[in-house]
Parts: sequence; C-alpha cells; structure tokens
Amino acid sequence: MTTWADMGGRAEFYGRVLHDPDEPAFHADWERRVFGCTVFAAGVLNPTGPDLDSARWAMEQIPREDYLAPYYWRWLRGLELQLEEKHWLQPGEVEARIDGKPGLPGGRRVRKIQTAMASAAMGLILRPTIPRFMAAHLMPRLIGGRRTTMRRPRFKVGDAVRVRPERAAGHTRQPGYTTGKPGTVVGNSGAARFSDARAAGRRSRPQYVYTVAFDGRDLWGEAAEPDTEVRIELFESYLEAR
Amino acid sequence: MTADDVRAIRVEAVESLLVEKGLVDSAVVDRIVEHYENNVGPLNGAKVVARAWTDPAFRERLLANGTKAVAELGFGGPEGSMIVAIENTPEVHNVVVCTLCSCYPWPVLGLPPTWYKSAEYRSRMVAEPRKLLGEMGLDVPATKKVRVWDSSAEARYLVVPERPAGTEALGAEELASLVSRDSMIGVAVAKEPTP
Repeated sequence: MTTWADMGGRAEFYGRVLHDPDEPAFHADWERRVFGCTVFAAGVLNPTGPDLDSARWAMEQIPREDYLAPYYWRWLRGLELQLEEKHWLQPGEVEARIDGKPGLPGGRRVRKIQTAMASAAMGLILRPTIPRFMAAHLMPRLIGGRRTTMRRPRFKVGDAVRVRPERAAGHTRQPGYTTGKPGTVVGNSGAARFSDARAAGRRSRPQYVYTVAFDGRDLWGEAAEPDTEVRIELFESYLEAR
Repeated sequence: MTADDVRAIRVEAVESLLVEKGLVDSAVVDRIVEHYENNVGPLNGAKVVARAWTDPAFRERLLANGTKAVAELGFGGPEGSMIVAIENTPEVHNVVVCTLCSCYPWPVLGLPPTWYKSAEYRSRMVAEPRKLLGEMGLDVPATKKVRVWDSSAEARYLVVPERPAGTEALGAEELASLVSRDSMIGVAVAKEPTP
C-alpha cells in the first residue's frame, strides 16, 4: 500500500527545494502552540514514553491537503484524529468551540494529578543542558523505543538481504522505494519496539533493527546517479535473506 | 481571512478544549516553545563538532556512541535516544533525510527547518542527491561517494563535516562558528575561516 507520506523517490513530489539556511523553527504563533500542545499532550497520555508510531500513523491518515499544508497543521490534524479515536475529543467539538457554541456535555477529563505530573516531567528536560547521566541513560530508556530481547539476530553484518516484496497496509517504516530491493547489512542497532504493531495498538515482541546499505543502481536502475548509496534502518521482519 | 487566520482560530479552539480536559497546561506549553526556540538549536551540534575536531578521544567516543558523547556536553532528551554521528571524509560525503516523516536529532540541531520536511526534499534526496545538493549550493566531486542516510527508525543522524584547512590555530568557539546547521545535515560543508 502506498501513502503520500511515503515520499522517497516519488517524482510526483519533485520540485525545487525552497532552501533558507537561516530559517527559524516557527513561522507563526499557531505553529508554536501546536508544537507545544502536541508535546505536552503526548506526555500526559503516554507517561511511559510518547507513542510516536501512533502519532505518525494518525498524520498518515489525515486528508492529503492537510498533510501538505504548512508543516505543523499536520501535527494538529493528527493530534485531533488521535484524540477523537480515544474519545478525548468528540466529533464536532472543535467546530462547536470555533462557532462559540456551548461545550458538549460529558467527555473524558484527565485527573489533575496526571496533568501536574506531566508538567513536572517536562520541567526536568526544559533546561539548556541536562545532567549527563539523565541524558545518556535515563532519557533514552524512558522515551526511546529500544528494548532488550533474548532472541538471536537473524542477520549479521555483511549479509546479503532483500526487502520483502510487499509493504504492509497501515503504518510501516518500510519505505516503498526499498521494497523488493537488494541490499547489504552494515550494522545492527539492537532490538526496538516494532513500530507497525504499536501504531495499530497490537502487542508485539521487540525486533532487531539493521542498517542496510543499498547501491543507487539497485534502487533506481539506469536513472541512478554514479557512486551513490542509501543507508536506512529496517526492522528484521522487513528483510529476507538472498 | 487568510488561510493562516483560519488555522490560528482552529488551533486556539483546540488548545482551549485541551486545557479544559487537562490534556494541556498552557503555561508549560509556553515553556516548551521557549525551550525549543532558545535553548536547543544547531549551536549545540556545532559545539559537539568543534570538540570532535580538537579532541581525538572525544571524536572516538562520538563515533562509537553519539548519545553518550553528546550527553557529556549536557545535550539529550526527545529525539535523541540514539544519536549516530557520521563523519565526512575525503572519500565519502554524508547527507541526511527522512523520507517517511521528519525525523531529526532535536538535542543537537533543534527543530528541523521547513525545507527539510518538504515533499521536494524528502522525495528527491534519496534518488538524485548529487543534483539536489548542487541546486542547494554544494557540488560534490565525482571522486567522492555520496551516502544518503534515510532516518526511519531509532537513529537520528548528525553529520560531522570535514574540518576546513587553515583552522589549526582556532579555538573551540571560533571553530564552532564555522559549523552551520546545513553542514550537520550534509547539504553544505563547514565554512572557511575568514582571514
């Protein structure tokens, strides 16, 4: 399945990159609010670490024109979709608020202690520098996706592999342009939570993630530029031996 | 009303609802925004690169485990759980993209610029990197391999540009001033020192 978020090598998106080396992080105040609200809400709803897989999947499901609008609009529409699915927002509630109608009765509300805990957790990282042990060990464990596994890796550095011929429906971190293509394992990043499953709310065992190198010619054939290579991290279940 | 006004109104409505439901505390949102506008940015990454240029033992640690090495300078947090430093050499030029979304090493580069998140950059960089780099002002010689890193899982890549010639006498701060955001994404090289 292709989604428009899977953009690598898709000529329909080609065009000039409007590049500004000094571009600021935000261009309008609404962008600031969307960014801050999304980061905060993620902390409240997922005290054990933000669920970026579900957040990305939500963004992949919004209408194409919303996805291609100024960047943080994608975050807002994705956040709204996630909150509706979890019944934090009711359908039509945002429109009613815009129209100045009275709030809809009922609806879920976070306990005050939960909001306060998220605020406290945010306070720990909102500093110019953070203590070394926290940055090196605690934060990656708390918010990162890496997990331990007792299983042995299926592949090792140097193995010739091929990306499986089908791209999963739903959320996946297997780009379309690598699908079915031959590559070589150049690194093992250890095991991590499996994004495809987490985005769908399925439990799943951690999977090894490998860095795979693809020669430009294997990806693009005759059109490839000389002496180019793409390296990308791929979950074990995306790969087959060749 | 402009499209931006319409967006601003919707965002305001959503924020007010989230505040009522306890999903957001607006004062903390202010602090989050302030943090990412002022505390976190490419200057962090430039300090890391300058240190790697001047301290061979740090360079080794950075290339071996980016997250642990940048933590020595106090950098870390969201989108920094697995920072991977990749070094440009006379043989290989590295450049970073995220074709599936907009993965970016926040603790060392701050939030990504719009062009990095654009459909044009995401679609083209994996397929025609030399042409795109050329349009962006960087002609990579044919004698150098171009290696494109597509951030798709945990790793967030930081390019360590080559140290420019004639910088032997410069201190850490002067060296850091040569390291632009673009050079740590890989769409530029480090600036030459002004004589």
